[in-house]
Amino acid sequence: MVKNSGQMKIMQMSFMIIGVFFFFVLVGLFVLGIAFGDVRSGAEELARAQAISSIGVIAGMSELNYDADDTMSVDEDKLKIMSGGFSNNYEDFWPVASIEVYKVYNVSREIVECPSVGCNYYSVYSSGQRNIEKVSSYVSICKRVKEFGSVHNKCEVGKILVGVEIRESEVGR
Amino acid sequence: MRMTKKGQFNFVWIFAILAGGTILALAIWGATQAGDTLRFQSDTEAGKSISILTDPLQSGFAEGSFGKISFRQETRLRNVCLGPGFGKNDISIAMQSGVGEKWNSAGGATSVYNKYIFSEEVNEGEDFFVFSKAFNFPYEVSDLVFLSSKNYCFLNAPDFVEEDISGLGIDNIVLDNCSSGDERVCFGSGSDCDAIVYGSCSSGCDSVYDFGKVVRSSDEMVYVGNLMYGAIFSDEAVYDCNVLRLLYRAGSIADVFSEKVDLMNARGCNSNLKGDLIVWGGMLENSTSEDLIGLNGFAEELERKNKGGGGSSGELCGVW
Repeated sequence: MVKNSGQMKIMQMSFMIIGVFFFFVLVGLFVLGIAFGDVRSGAEELARAQAISSIGVIAGMSELNYDADDTMSVDEDKLKIMSGGFSNNYEDFWPVASIEVYKVYNVSREIVECPSVGCNYYSVYSSGQRNIEKVSSYVSICKRVKEFGSVHNKCEVGKILVGVEIRESEVGR
Repeated sequence: MRMTKKGQFNFVWIFAILAGGTILALAIWGATQAGDTLRFQSDTEAGKSISILTDPLQSGFAEGSFGKISFRQETRLRNVCLGPGFGKNDISIAMQSGVGEKWNSAGGATSVYNKYIFSEEVNEGEDFFVFSKAFNFPYEVSDLVFLSSKNYCFLNAPDFVEEDISGLGIDNIVLDNCSSGDERVCFGSGSDCDAIVYGSCSSGCDSVYDFGKVVRSSDEMVYVGNLMYGAIFSDEAVYDCNVLRLLYRAGSIADVFSEKVDLMNARGCNSNLKGDLIVWGGMLENSTSEDLIGLNGFAEELERKNKGGGGSSGELCGVW
């Protein structure tokens, strides 16, 4: 009887310890889940912040800008060159997942990708990622022309969109 | 009977102590690991934040800009420049620890491809001072970002440097009134200098410091234009690597301009810079910081032609 009681106590103690152990494991997993969820959202938040702060930087880059002394104006000739395959050399250089520019005023509503007749849309860079959230800003799309013997700037209103990668679970939010 | 009971009692306690000790050890180990992971996370986020915070500090269309990044505790910022090609600056952050080793291991490095961050490889402090200036060679290549945690004292600085410092309100640089502990930077000559900036421009210059070299102990760095600040604030390794990246970028932009000339010519906005740009692109290839002064002469000639000041072959439709 006494022997059985001792064995019982050992079994109770064992079950108790195993129970406590699993309890702490579950608590640990819960805490880690919250912590890593925080990492993920932190990383996405930083990527989004970078995309927003990058718009001005990207539009001001010498590979796209029209006039170094002017802000938010892009060169149409450079857009043609960069969207024509030249930007493939750049790859990791861009701090965002995609860069697109399109004309918004006095053009067809239908998006026509350049190069083609009457085009209004330039895809400067795409990392190939599918889930992209885009942030945009208005820009001037300018080119230098020579008309009636004088050289002047010809500008149109456009929009620049830069994309930031988002996770599958955030699509459609 | 008593013996058995006593034995059982001892076994229960020994088992409980062993199992409890194991659980406690596992819990302490887990907490330490989780703490390390969270610290790695916050250091990595801080490194990424440095990259983002320097975005608005790029001068853009302004002459320059200045800002201060402050941390709550002593921080070690490591800036490693890697080439070749467009290259990158790898920025990592480590915070000071109150227990054990003085510095925690650094967080994950953030790679910055589109910025040129000039600093020493290891910078320590709570406040980091950042300012930027454009680099034109002859067209704008990029903004240069200068980062430092030290205080500097500039002696005999030329007017344009004084204007930059007072105009941008750069907190960590004083002119002439040096304090002990300041990094002393002398222009031209001076005594007890940590670094000396020499200017070698003698004709057709805005200043004798349009190009020259910066000498710091055994390091000697050749500069043109605003790269002077890069040479003052950087280690030789970081400086040379960033200059290589800039020259590669300048070559790539020359290719863009070369193709732009074709598009402009096609619509009657003529330019005769195509040949020069191809030659310029070739010159930039495989050039290093040692070649900067030689390249500067050709860059000035290109700028003159683009502005239409190149004599009878003057340019009407500027390419940049």
